[in-house]
Amino acid sequence: MISDLAVPNLFVAQAGQLVLPVVLPLLAAFLMQPLARVSTALARGLGPLVLILCAWITAQLWIQLGDAPFTLAIGGFAPPLGILFYADGIALLFALAVPVFALLFWPGSESGGGAGADSRPGSDQADRDQAARRDALVLLLVAATTGLALSGDLFNLYVFYELAAVASFGLVALSGTGRAQVATFRYLMISAFGSVLALAGIAILYMQTGTLNLGQLAQLAPETLNNPIGSAAFALMLIGFGVKAELFPVNTWVPEVYAGAPARVSALLAGLVSKLAVLVIVRLLVLIFPQPEAAQMLLVLGVLGVLTGEFAAWRAKDFPRMLAFSSIGQLGIVFVAFSIGGEIGLLAGLAVALHHLIVKSALFGLAVRWNGSLEALAGAARTSPLGAALFVLFALSLVGVPPLPGFWAKLTVIVGLAERGTPLDITALMSILLVTAVEASYLFRVAIRLYQDNPDPVARHARRDLGVSALLGAVLVAATLGLRPVADVLGAGAAQLGDRAGYIETVFPSHVAGKD
Amino acid sequence: MMSLTLEGVVLIGALGLIVIGALGMAISNHLFRMLLALVLAESGANLLIVLSGYRVGASAPILGFGDPTAPMVDPVPQVLVLTAIVIGVGVQALAVALLLKVYRVYGTLNVRELRDRMDADVATAAGVEADASQDAPAGERPLPPVPAHASVGSGGFGRRGPVPFPPQSDERRP
Repeated sequence: MISDLAVPNLFVAQAGQLVLPVVLPLLAAFLMQPLARVSTALARGLGPLVLILCAWITAQLWIQLGDAPFTLAIGGFAPPLGILFYADGIALLFALAVPVFALLFWPGSESGGGAGADSRPGSDQADRDQAARRDALVLLLVAATTGLALSGDLFNLYVFYELAAVASFGLVALSGTGRAQVATFRYLMISAFGSVLALAGIAILYMQTGTLNLGQLAQLAPETLNNPIGSAAFALMLIGFGVKAELFPVNTWVPEVYAGAPARVSALLAGLVSKLAVLVIVRLLVLIFPQPEAAQMLLVLGVLGVLTGEFAAWRAKDFPRMLAFSSIGQLGIVFVAFSIGGEIGLLAGLAVALHHLIVKSALFGLAVRWNGSLEALAGAARTSPLGAALFVLFALSLVGVPPLPGFWAKLTVIVGLAERGTPLDITALMSILLVTAVEASYLFRVAIRLYQDNPDPVARHARRDLGVSALLGAVLVAATLGLRPVADVLGAGAAQLGDRAGYIETVFPSHVAGKD
Repeated sequence: MMSLTLEGVVLIGALGLIVIGALGMAISNHLFRMLLALVLAESGANLLIVLSGYRVGASAPILGFGDPTAPMVDPVPQVLVLTAIVIGVGVQALAVALLLKVYRVYGTLNVRELRDRMDADVATAAGVEADASQDAPAGERPLPPVPAHASVGSGGFGRRGPVPFPPQSDERRP
């Protein structure tokens, strides 16, 4: 019924379709509850259907229009006054990743959904209501994160960010255990405080420039924001949007939330949502705050995140929390990479971020069944040989063993740091090399344990989770084989992402900006 | 000069609210007080937004209201702050709902107690040994443990029963 509206021109991409990947999941999310009353089957099918449709539309846009960035003014109001969506190659790539990963980690199916042991027998009707609520929350998350990738307006970004936050609170608390609820509350507190800071930063930007349009902000930034006040605004917004991106001082929620939430939700949060928050920070950094102080802030916080995350992961005794801490460390490397700036920095950052998106999501997919202590994993290779093999593959790539993409991603970061070569960069470089050894230590410790002899190993994986991880593993191997084309695509994307003048030109084509 | 003073005072007030809220969230030992501190910080941020479009002496941005030739305040921040307030209230309502559920499960809203019990819960669920509490003394305990409900700082909502008076816990600690 919803798809009828979009069917007529689905094969011809038009800029106007850019709103659909945001609007359709929103609409479906709010239709979900009433629909579940009418027909359970329809409600169950609605979510995946909408996600497939969104992925299809975004892929068409990317293939047909993705070479040059383009914009879409919502409601036809011209940019400085109206709100717009801005789509370049990277924005579309992330907008495509959102429905695809949501589909891969769709919590709908019964087998192994949730935290396994937490499922309680309830009445049929209650189960169905619960399922409809959960599907609606995932769709809200999809709409909000797609909006984060596409929006070209600062306040709009804030609203999408809040929407993603609220949806993720609901998803984390879903398992209904006490620890999940305490974790959600603390996550909510940190997240809401981050929003306060981001809001304050936005207010300062508006005081200084009088606009919230990213393109116009980019025009005005060199005169109005290249000063201590601008740096303060960036610091506020960095911490604010950094909450979801697991930035160093505001990431205390990460281990407890990933330990308490259903593993598939953790996969979505660690893989997808964090990357979209990173994309927002990078846009701000490239467009509005090109001054060196901003990059330095990112570098220092990134290094702290790398060190604290990886050492905490080394100490972790259970699988989900080890992945959570390791995710903090990996995102630290992403921040370090983006702080290098220039095309090589953006390329390195994108490479590490996409690599982490694939690998960490897949590892959390394995954690659906391996949700216990590391010791309990002994001998798991016997019951689940493919799962163990995949874990070894992902571990090798995370550490950065040569033929795999993880090696190339880390190498790009290290080369970038070495090329700039300030003392701070060298410190960052040394800490990345150091944590590589730490990563190798804790990941291979687990890998060895998987292949130990144990008469009573953990249960095998559900077929679906294993399938998803295997698919992502296949993507990783394919990227290894086709590293050159992947690098070319990412390089072109990085060039677009870093092209400040191009962004302004795309938003205000005829140089009449600021007047209407 | 006058305009600078008034706007400056409100600006300091807004920043002050954010700082008070941040400090309150950092030092309060009770989840509900943390929430109240968050509300303070949010109103500070909202005030900052309104202030970003405010000009002293300008009229409200409503057509047919006041002198049409006089300067108006910028309406955009006022629209933004409506959105921000609504989002803030929604998040706060969600937080209160979560608080209720947490209280039903654990019977306390004391931050330290909850943290310890959640860590223990997480560790049990994962099948690993919990780390020692951050508040626990290193080494062997020379004294019997203080009952949880009599521990320092469990605020009004956190008590799970009548607290003996005078508190016995003080006598055990030298």
